[in-house]
Amino acid sequence: MSHAVLGNYLIGLREGLEATLVVSILVAFLVRSGRRERLAQVWAGVVAAVLLSVGFGALLTFVAEDLLSPAGHELFDAVTSVAAVAFVTWMIFWMRRTARRLSGDLRGKLADALSMGAFAVVGMAFLAVVREGLETTLLFYAAAQGATTSRGPLLGITLGVATAVALGYLMYRSAVKINLSRFFTWTGLLLILVAAGIFKYGIHDFQESGVLPGGETHAFDISAWFNPDTWYAALLGGMFNISATPSVLEVVAWFAYAVPVLVLFLWPSRPAKAPASADRAAATPAAVAGAQSNGSRTSADAPASRT
Amino acid sequence: MRRTSVLTLALAGTAAGLLTVAGCGAGDSAAAQSVAVTATDTTCALARTDLPAGTTEFTVTNKGTKVTEFYVYGSDGSVKGEVEDIGPGVTRSLRADLKAGQYEAACKPGMTGDGIRTKLTVSG
Repeated sequence: MSHAVLGNYLIGLREGLEATLVVSILVAFLVRSGRRERLAQVWAGVVAAVLLSVGFGALLTFVAEDLLSPAGHELFDAVTSVAAVAFVTWMIFWMRRTARRLSGDLRGKLADALSMGAFAVVGMAFLAVVREGLETTLLFYAAAQGATTSRGPLLGITLGVATAVALGYLMYRSAVKINLSRFFTWTGLLLILVAAGIFKYGIHDFQESGVLPGGETHAFDISAWFNPDTWYAALLGGMFNISATPSVLEVVAWFAYAVPVLVLFLWPSRPAKAPASADRAAATPAAVAGAQSNGSRTSADAPASRT
Repeated sequence: MRRTSVLTLALAGTAAGLLTVAGCGAGDSAAAQSVAVTATDTTCALARTDLPAGTTEFTVTNKGTKVTEFYVYGSDGSVKGEVEDIGPGVTRSLRADLKAGQYEAACKPGMTGDGIRTKLTVSG
C-alpha cells in the first residue's frame, strides 16, 4: 500500500509541477501589473486544457484505444512542447521589456506596456496544462482502473497532483511579495530554465516518435546518483525536465535554447544615441534588482522609454 | 464574447492537431494480440514470447515497489514502443505494430538502466 502511494505520488507530482509553475508565474505577473481582470482568461485556458485532456483521455482509455498510436502520442507531446516553448519564450521577453520600463520609472505607462492579447494569455495557460495534461489523465484512468484491488495508486497520484498545485500556490504567494524588479529577473530566469527543459523534452519526444534519430544515443548517464525514483528527481524532473540519461540531441537542444536566451535576457539595453552607457546598465533587470535590494533606486535617468 | 471566440479557436486548433496526429501512424485495428506482462522489482514475465506479426497489446502490471517502464526494442536497438510511468499496483498497456523478426522486451524497474530483457520472436 505505502509503495503504491509513494511511487504514484511522485509521478503525480512530476507531471503536475511544470504546469502549476508556469500558470502561477503568469497569474503573479497579471496580479502584480494590476491586471486582475485578465485572470479569467488564465482560468479559461486551464479549464479548456483540463476538459480536453479528460475527454480525450477517456476516449483513448474506454472507447478507442488504437485511435492514437504510441508514436502519435509522442508526436502530440512533442508538438505541444515546442508550441509551449514558443509561448513561454515570448512571455520571458515580454516580462523583460516590462522590467525595463519599470527601471525607467515609467510606472504610469505600465498599463500600456502590458497590453497583451487575450489569445496569448489563454493560449499560454492552455498549452502549459495540456502538454502534460493528456498523459496525466491517462495515468489517472490507469490508477482508477486498478482501484478495485487497491486504492493506493489513485490516492498517490491524486495527492501528487494536489501537492504540485499547492507548490504552485506557494510560488505565487512568494512571487507577489518580493520586490517587483527582482520578481521579473527571477521569474524570467526560472522560466528560461523551464522552457529549456520543455524544449529538451520536446526533442526527446520527437526522437521517441521516430521523427528525429538518435534517441538511444545517450550523452551521459548520471542515474547512479541521480536516481529517477527519488523525490528530488521528481521535483527537478517536474520543473526542469532534468533526466538521468538524456540523448546527445537533447543536451545539444538544451544548450542551443538556454545559452542564447540567457544572453539575450541578461544583455544590457541596446546602445542608442542616448549618452552615458553606464546608465543603461541600470536598466537590466539584474542590475535593477541588485540596486533595489541595496535600498537605492536608480530611476529617472535610465533611457527606457523606447518601445 | 471575445474571450469565448479565442477559446474556441484554441480548442479547434488543438482538436485539429490531435486528429492529424491520431490519423498518422495509428496501426491496424484488426484483432490485436494481447500479451500480459507481470513486472516486479527484479522480474519481467511475459505470458508468451512467440507472436504473430501485427498489432500486439502488451498489458503491463507492476507488482513491484518501484515505478517501472516497459519497452519493445528492435534487433537494431531502436525503440518499437514504450510505456512509461507504470506506478506500483498500476496496469498500463502498450500497443505495438510488429513485423516478423527478432525483438527484445524490457521492464525497467526504477526507470533506469538497460532493463530486464526478454527475447521476442514475431513470425508472420
